Amino acid sequence: MKKFDGLNYYEILKIPMTSSYFEIKRAYKDTLSLYNEDSIVTYSLFSNEERDKIIEDIQNAFSTLTDDQKRAAYDQMLVDSGQVETSIPSREKQYTSTPLSSTHASVNESHLYSRVKEKFLTEDVKTLSDEILLKERLSGDDLKKLRKAVDVKIQEIQNITKIRTSVLKAIEENRFEELPPDTYLRSFLRSYAKILQINPQKVIDGYFKTISLDKKTNDLDSK
Amino acid sequence: MAEIYPIGGGKGGVGKSFITASLGTLIAKWGKKVVLIDLDLGASNLHTLLGMKSPKIGLNSFLNKTVKNLESTAVPTMIPNLFLISSFHCYMEIANLFYAQKLKIIDAIKKLPFDYILLDLGPGTNFNTLDFFLTSKEGILICTPEPTSIENSFRFIKTVYFRKLKQMMKKNTFDSLFKNTSSDLKRSGNNPPDIIEIVLKHAPEKEEFLRNKLSEFKFKLIFNQFRNNIDATLGDQFESICNRHFYSIFQFLGNISYDSRIHDAIFSKILYIHKYPHTQSAADLKKITAQIMSKIPSASFAKDML
Repeated sequence: MKKFDGLNYYEILKIPMTSSYFEIKRAYKDTLSLYNEDSIVTYSLFSNEERDKIIEDIQNAFSTLTDDQKRAAYDQMLVDSGQVETSIPSREKQYTSTPLSSTHASVNESHLYSRVKEKFLTEDVKTLSDEILLKERLSGDDLKKLRKAVDVKIQEIQNITKIRTSVLKAIEENRFEELPPDTYLRSFLRSYAKILQINPQKVIDGYFKTISLDKKTNDLDSK
Repeated sequence: MAEIYPIGGGKGGVGKSFITASLGTLIAKWGKKVVLIDLDLGASNLHTLLGMKSPKIGLNSFLNKTVKNLESTAVPTMIPNLFLISSFHCYMEIANLFYAQKLKIIDAIKKLPFDYILLDLGPGTNFNTLDFFLTSKEGILICTPEPTSIENSFRFIKTVYFRKLKQMMKKNTFDSLFKNTSSDLKRSGNNPPDIIEIVLKHAPEKEEFLRNKLSEFKFKLIFNQFRNNIDATLGDQFESICNRHFYSIFQFLGNISYDSRIHDAIFSKILYIHKYPHTQSAADLKKITAQIMSKIPSASFAKDML
């Protein structure tokens, strides 16, 4: 008999990687009731130890996927270990909550995408983005400047990426102490860069260099 | 090539014969040539469900060689296109069929010139039932929505697996492996043993081969005597669990609503779908027939396969 070996948390709950909190919660309840010891279907299929292990797996899946930070780290792990192909397309839609708003968001998304693309045709924006991406270190000011140049409002980024405005502002204003843990921040920067249609890896690397420089400076100051 | 559907299920009284007779009748109405074979040896009564007197010829005539082949033991029923091979007049100890006789029957069944062959099996998990069930790569499992019946269904599936593995292992000279496996199985006591895991422990290199072999097998599930107060998604849950935890393909065909008139019909020896053609249960049976014949997978089945 096959157990959950080799299934990832999404597969255990039978949900796509883009599921919202509510979808995860519903899937968790359904799955749990299926493997519950009162379940007419499975009570005679598993031994108590097998059932305990299965329920533990289901609970781990739920607690990981409903915690934004743990989920981001888990997704990254799936990508890094090659269990899923790439996080980037799924990541953007991942945190949209209901089917209604996700269609809504995707309409906005494609609209915004073509708008930014158009801006990039102008010489000013092109030069600015090249300039910024050539830098070794990249700060929040650079990102903000580019965002203003392509005329994207911070609210629009929030609508699409579901990253809170306060976090986006902290990124742009270099308030590093307010930023989420690295794995999470990495995925935020990736989403941000994708909206501005610039190389996500360069943005991530450049921004993290700025952070580490800031840390070193602070350390020196405290000495 | 005929489509052979063994109809089984661990528990007695879940309606195997009733469903065999009903499905056979409905398939015959679609213009297909159908034969029902009563393989509930020693307790055969399919003819009664079809409103017939016990036929004089049947499996017995084939086994004692009074006829030249199994086909000539098929007697027509009152329904056009529908035939029956009865085992009613078989000798009293037919339930303990000799192995050679069993092979002879299985071999002959596979050669029968019909469109559909439905095998009405006995309850339990004795070797005859299992081997007849394994005649085809597809089998229908009848279950009622009760814990006891579901429990027996799992045991039935596991035992079918075990039998299948045993056949395969013999064929592939896994004899020594089988001996090791058997002793492990005996040790596992009352719990239905996890055959595959034990076999794999002894022969990890056979894993893919065994899994592939088992995945060739399809179980189709029907819930009979389904009452209103039962969770309507039970069948889908069962299908989903089986697809997830066993190695074969499972497809839930549908529920057949409980109707006390089914018992009345059996008493009056008139086929229920003829006596009460416009009831919910009759509609359920028609829907399941269409599913079996069209071979269109159910929505949830297709979803699971993705």
